[in-house]
This record gives sequence, C-alpha cells and structure tokens, in this order.
Amino acid sequence: MTDGSPLGEFEQVVLLAILRLGDEAYAVAVQNEILRCTGRDVSRGSIYITLDRLETKGYLKSRLADPTPERGGRAKRYYTLRPTAVEALRDSRRALVALWRGLEAKLA
Amino acid sequence: MNERLPRGVEALLHYGLPADQREPIAGDLLEEYVERTDRDGRLRALAAVWVQAARLAWRFRLERTVHGRPLPPIADEIRSSNMWDAVRQDITFAIRMLRRQPGFAVVAILALALGIGANTAIFSVVDAVLWRALPYASADEIVALAEARPREGRMNGPVAPADFFDWRRGSRSFTAMAAYNEIALNLTGRGEPERLRGLSVSPGFLAALGVSPVVGRDFAPDEETFGRHRVALLSDGLWRRRFGGDASIVGRTVTVDGNPYEVVGVLPARFWWPTRPDLLVPLALDDHDRTLRAAHFLRVVGRRNSGVSFTQAREEMAVIGRRLSAAFPVENANHTTSVQPLRDALVGDTRTALLTLLGAVALVLLIACANVATLLVARATTRQKELAIRMAVGGTRTRLVQQMLTESLVLAMVGGGVGLLLALWSVAGLRRMLPEQFAMLPGIDQLGLDARILASAFFVSVVTGLVFGVAPALVASDQRSGAMLSDAVRGTSGGARGRRLRSTLVVAELALSLILLVGAGLLMTSFWKITAVAPGFRPAQLVTMRLSLPASRYADHASAAGFYLALSDRLRSAPGIERVAVTSAPPFSGLNGRLNLEVENREIESTFPVRAHPRSVSPEYFQTLGIPLVRGRGFTDRDSADAPAVAIINQTAVRRYWPGLNPIGERISLGDPRRWREIVGVVGDIKHEGLDTEVAPEVYMPFQQEFTALGTALVRGLSVVVRASGDVAAVAPVLRTAVASVDEQQPVGAIQSMDDLIAHSVAPRRLNLLLLSVFAFVAVTLTAAGLYGVMAYLVAQRTREIGVRMALGATPSSVLGLVLRQAGGMTTAGIVIGLAGAFLFARYLTSLLFQVSAADPAVYLAVSLLLSGVAFLAIVIPCSRATRVDPLTALREP
Repeated sequence: MTDGSPLGEFEQVVLLAILRLGDEAYAVAVQNEILRCTGRDVSRGSIYITLDRLETKGYLKSRLADPTPERGGRAKRYYTLRPTAVEALRDSRRALVALWRGLEAKLA
Repeated sequence: MNERLPRGVEALLHYGLPADQREPIAGDLLEEYVERTDRDGRLRALAAVWVQAARLAWRFRLERTVHGRPLPPIADEIRSSNMWDAVRQDITFAIRMLRRQPGFAVVAILALALGIGANTAIFSVVDAVLWRALPYASADEIVALAEARPREGRMNGPVAPADFFDWRRGSRSFTAMAAYNEIALNLTGRGEPERLRGLSVSPGFLAALGVSPVVGRDFAPDEETFGRHRVALLSDGLWRRRFGGDASIVGRTVTVDGNPYEVVGVLPARFWWPTRPDLLVPLALDDHDRTLRAAHFLRVVGRRNSGVSFTQAREEMAVIGRRLSAAFPVENANHTTSVQPLRDALVGDTRTALLTLLGAVALVLLIACANVATLLVARATTRQKELAIRMAVGGTRTRLVQQMLTESLVLAMVGGGVGLLLALWSVAGLRRMLPEQFAMLPGIDQLGLDARILASAFFVSVVTGLVFGVAPALVASDQRSGAMLSDAVRGTSGGARGRRLRSTLVVAELALSLILLVGAGLLMTSFWKITAVAPGFRPAQLVTMRLSLPASRYADHASAAGFYLALSDRLRSAPGIERVAVTSAPPFSGLNGRLNLEVENREIESTFPVRAHPRSVSPEYFQTLGIPLVRGRGFTDRDSADAPAVAIINQTAVRRYWPGLNPIGERISLGDPRRWREIVGVVGDIKHEGLDTEVAPEVYMPFQQEFTALGTALVRGLSVVVRASGDVAAVAPVLRTAVASVDEQQPVGAIQSMDDLIAHSVAPRRLNLLLLSVFAFVAVTLTAAGLYGVMAYLVAQRTREIGVRMALGATPSSVLGLVLRQAGGMTTAGIVIGLAGAFLFARYLTSLLFQVSAADPAVYLAVSLLLSGVAFLAIVIPCSRATRVDPLTALREP
C-alpha cells in the first residue's frame, strides 16, 4: 500500500504532530502543535497538501466528523496514523539515531 | 452563532480546491475566522481569512500544475459538480469579457442574429408547410387521387365523374373515397346577398378527412342523388357570423343559389381546408353528368385502409386505371391514376422553392459563422498576453479551450435570442405579404412561435456557437506560453496560424456569397424573362368580373343568355367603359377545362390525345381583349342559337392539327361527337394559364350557341370582361350597379383587373426572388465586412514592413500593389471556388427557372464582377491607408 520511499522531513513532522494530538488531529491543530513544539510557522496549505499526500501514500486514514454549526454546518476531517506510518516513523528514528551516534560533541 | 465565510472566499475556495477538500478546509477557515474576529476584530479577521483563502487556492493549484500530480480520486458526483462549477465560472467570465468589448460583441451578435434569425424564420415556414402533420386524424393515411397523363407530363389532373365512380366502386384500399369540387355559391334570404366559397362533396369526404360535424350530422349516402341534395353543412365561421352561432341551426333552411337548403350540421372551428369553404353541399350530379368521362373537373381524396400500405393502394389504383384505359380507349387513352399523400398534392411545387430557401439561409448562417470566427481569431491575438498568463498559472489547454468555447456559446445564445426576435417579426411580416397561392398552404395560418421553433432556434444557436468557436479556440490556445508571452510583449503578435485561418474564412465567405448571388441572379433573370413574355392580348385597362347564375332562377340557356345580354347592354352605355365581352373562362383566371376534339372526315395523327380547351365567348371578346384575328372572321350577332354552329380556333390548334393546311370551313366536334361546328376563323395565341405555360389548342364558340363549356346542372358561371376607358379602379362600382340593375338579387363575384391577375400569377416567383435577394444581400454585406476586417488587420500588421519599404524608396503605388495582391488573391480564390460550388448547386434550381439555364454564363459573369466590385470597395480604405503610411512613424512603432 505504501510506496516504500522514506519519509520526507516535513512528512515526519506532520506525522509526529498527529501522534501527539491523538484523536483530535486535524489540520489547524496540527499546524498549532508544530508551531508549539518546533517554533516553525508552516503554511496551512503545506499542511493540507502533506496530509493529503500522506493519506494517498497510505500512512494516514481520515474520517469526516459530524458537521457542527460552529463550522457553518461543515464537517471536520480528522486524521489518524496507520500502522505503516508508525513503522515508517520507527525506521526513520532508528536511521537518524544511528547516524547521530558519536556526533553530539561536534554539533553541541 | 451564524457566522459565514464571505462569498468571495467561498468562491475562491471553489476555484482553487479539489472538491473533496473544500468542505473540511472551508470549515477550518470559518473556525479560524470566528476565532480571529473575537480576538482581533472583524476587519483583521476578514483580511486574514481572505489572505489564507487566496494562499490555499494558489497552493493547491500550483500543486496540481507544477507537480503534475492528480489530486485524490474524485467520485463521480464530485466530478460533475466540478464541471458545473467550471461552466458557471466560464459563463460569468465570458459575459464579463463581452461587456468589456461592446463593439466586438455588438458586431458579432448582429451577424449571428441575422444568420440564426433567417434560419429560424425559414425553418418555421418549412416546418409548418412541409413537415408538420396536417390537422386531421391520422393524416398520413389521407391521399389525393388524381388522373395522370404521363405522356403529356401532367401528373395531377382533375378527374371525370364517371372515372371517379368507377374508382370508388372498384377499389378496396380505402375506407373512404370522395370527390369534391370548388364552387361559388350565392347565399341570399335574410341579410345581404353573399357570395360564398363552397365545396361540393360526395358523401365520405368528411370521413376521409376524419372530421365530424360538431353540431348535427354528416351528409347521408343518398344525399348524393340529384333531387335529394339540398342539404348543407356550415363552417363555424359562417355559422357564427351570419347566424349568430344559433344552437338550433340544425333543421333551419337557408337559400343557396335561390334554392332552399336544409342545414344538417356545423363543422368544427378547427376544420381546415386550403380554400377555407364557408359551406359544404353534396356533390349531386344528375344521371347525365354522372356518365361524363370526357369532362374532367373533380378532385378526389381518400383515406387509406390502415391495413393497406401506400404502395399497395397505389398499385391497386394503377390496375384500375389500366382497366378503364382499356375499356374506354377514346376518353381514357393513356390515362393512369396517381396517388400521393394529401400534403404533397397540396404543397406541390412550393416544396422546391421552400427547400431552396432553406438551403440559402443555411449558407447565410455559415457566412455569419465564418465572420464571427474571424472576429474571434482577431480578438484572440489581442488577448495573447492574458492567455499566456493563464496558461502559466496552471490553466490547461483543455480548460482554455473550454473557456473560449463557452464564450462562443454565450455569444451564440445571445445572438440566437436576438435572432429569434428577428425571426418572429419577419415571419409576421412575411404572412402579410404572402401571395394568395401561399395562403392556401397547410400550416400557414399556424405560423408562429411554438416549442419546435424555440427548440430549433436553440439547437441552431448551440451548433453555430460550436462551429465558429472551435477553430479560434484551438488556434488561440495553441501557443507555448513562454513564446506567447514574449511575443505579446514584443508586439509582433505571432499567430501565423491565426492569419491563415482568417484568410481562409474570408475566402470561404466569398465563395458562399457567390453561390447565393448566382442563385439570386438566376431567379432574377427568370423573373425578367417571364414578365417580358407577351401574353398575346392587351391586358392593360381590362377588368374581369365573375358571376354564377343559379340554375333555380336561370333554368335554361335562353334565360341565362338573356341576363348577360341585358348586362352587356347596360355596361356598354356605362361611363368609363369602352368595350364589354363575356367569356366562360378569361385568361389567368385559373378556370379551364378540356374536351376531346374530332375533325370531320379526318384521323389526326398525334401521340397526344386530341383535345382542345373550350371557350364560350361573346362576339366582342376578341376586340375587347385585343386578340388579333389571323384568318377568316370573328363571331357576330348572327351566330345565334338557331344559326349553324360555328367555332374559331387558335394558331396552336392550326399548327397541331392542320399543319400547313387551311382549317377554315372544316368541321369539328368538341366533347359531344354529335354536334359539329364549322371553323370560321383563326385567332392569335394567348397565354391562358400563365406566362410560363405552353399555349394549348383552344376552340372558341359563341356563347349563344354553347353556354357553358362543361355541362353541370348546378350553376352557370361566366365572366364579364370590360375594357375601361379611364381609371380602372372606378370600374368596380359601375359593374356592381349594372348587375344590380338587371337582377338585384344576383351577388357579384370577384372583380379583378387583368394586370392584377397577371401579377398574381407570378407572385410566388416574385416572393422567392425577393427572399433570395435579401439573403444574398445579407451574405454579401457580411462578407464585405469580413473582408474589410481582414484587410485592415493585414495592413496594420504590415505597417512596419511598409514603412521600411517606403523608407527604402518604394513608391505608394508599389506598396498598394503589395496589399492589393494579397486582397486580390483572396478574392480570386473565393470567386473561383464559389463559381465551382454555384455550378454544382444551381442545377437544383432548374425547376424554378424560366428560359434560363442553371449554367447561364452571363449570370455567372455578372455575379463575379459584382462580387469583385464589392470586394474592391471593402479593401479600398485599408489599401489607401497603407499608401499613406508615414515611414518614420511606422519604423518607430514597437
């Protein structure tokens, strides 16, 4: 289902943010979480596009919640990680940790 | 809590976002908007949300174009909503673009309105006359039966009574077969005496048409018998007009031709018959008339058995015709029967004329399309910068083409709407100028707007929009955006394809215009030739008046003759009248008949049946009409009922039956083999039936000796012909007064001048010619405008080049030559192609032409010169502009 290519940097950021948010992961919340944790003010458009791309790749699944009057009767789209995403994140982390080993001193 | 996103934001999201993302993203935006409004105030929230929406739209669009990645699969219903959104967008955009360039829009819409309007107008006529069902139940089962004489080329001739009765007795293919005869009847009694249009019909006539009286009953079978025939059916119009719509009309008596007739019923208001009869009476032939086989004056209509096919019915009638032909070799030699759908019989030759007009307006529409297409191509080259940018920000070629086609369709719809109005207005006008022959066509009184016409106008508009829109759209969008941008910036506005397309379109317009002009030219030449035909007599100052004397008051020939003699006396001494004559059938009256001719002691060798047209005339007839006496003598008062029977024949009769011989003194019989007459004179030929028909052999008899040429018992009809010494219009009251002074109960029939009758006989041709000329004029105007536009553009484009040439020493005349060569090339190509096309199509016009061949070189030459002249006028201004180019200004141009 996934295309096997390693996760891009921003894709990892988005996935991790979703993991942190748990059940309440939707685009605006993801953007805020990223800002809170990394200080990066990413554009909403990039978030949406990336969420879309990740879903196409099979890492995410989305669901439309019930529409609410606060949203003018529009539904909200929540995202959750698929097991493949968790797997991919673990692989990523393993790779990074391995590469980081022994370099703390140089980058401190 | 009723916050909403601004409409513009929603629109922006619609434009930029894929369908499945719109809802959640819009919801997110709204949340943010509300939050910001609470925090920062409405204005800042508004600004923020607009910015966010714009960025999102841009981002998604860019993602789609630049990365070329299709967005997630879209479900079918989402795809179609996408499409409708795009269409709605395009329409709004198109309207905006047109409003920005009103000049272009007006010109294009006008051209389209002319083309679509003309098509809709003619289509509505053609549809009403040729295609819509006749207003009868199962109208396709109704046929017209007629006598055909293939050797003589007459395929739709009237039927003799004896033949009709044999047909009716012998055929099994029809549930009803009836004969009818158009007659004029005098209605007297209470109120003014009125002369009515009537139809005498055999029982089964209404059954054949599938019509039932709305009050009362149809005629009974025995009411066909002479003596039991005095019953009548009223038309709805007559019933209301004269009898106040009296519900108890059935059983009342009315006086028709001096006789009491019982009203047995009233026809439905919707009943239609070409001659719009006021009254129907039974066709009652006495025993003698029923056996007439040589006198042809009936028309026959029948309703096919639904189980019998048209071909079967026709074959059965052919067999019957052959049987009769064998059984009666004298009267029925070489006669067969013809069976055709009633509509075809009613429409007749008009079909060719109508289809020709339909073809002509189709050509006009094509020219209009070509015209608008050239305008669009020109416009596209001025919009190149805009188009380039749109391509650069992610528009696909398909999208662009779609957008431009939408523009074309919007133009076409507006043009179609205006055209529809034009069509309605012109059809109303056409109705008013229709000659009488056309007023009798089926469906003519129902001309007007209805669903079919609307649908056809819509359909034509859509097709038109696509036809003229496709090529410009493809050409305009076929540019690599980079090249287009730099070109547009540089101002050389490339688009060699556009130039070629425009030139091709103008050549096409020229060719199509030439074809129309050739058609109009051929018809015009025919018309001139016809009106130049000498009728053989002097029509100016002649006035005719038709009378029918009822047999009830004028029971025998003597009393009827007495009436006419008295009338002639009154008229001769009346003011304004020079000469008076009486005849059974004046020229151009549509009245005619034919009887078999026999020459005493001689067998005439002829491939055609030996026949002549009988005419009963008074002695002054030939002088009154100005028919020259060629040989022998005319009639005198001495040729009375007791005197020996005499006759005068025309030159055609001599040529045919006494070639190289002197017919004076020979004896002939006409119709009745027992009555012989001596030929005492020969007169010149006259055109009797029409200026374009061949002259037939005619036999004149003194009306004292042969009162009615065809002996029916019901009415005696003769025409009075007078030559007015002064004003022709003043004659009518004099005639009426004279008639009233002889018999005040006698209604007067139609009074018409001979000039009017002749003009009326060519009225259909005149109308055809008028319409085709109008279309040709429109076509040429559009073409000239198109040519002007292209040439102006070409000159403007080459201004720089011209400036360079002139700076290098070229003279104005050599520059002019340059431009003229281009124009001349287009014009020549257009004319040559047009001539070829005209040659191919003109042959379809042959049946409408008179003494002109479809390939008449004079017409083709004249038309080519005319179009060349028009083309020259169209290019004169651009060309003179070219020669007045100031080299310095031209070189300075970017």
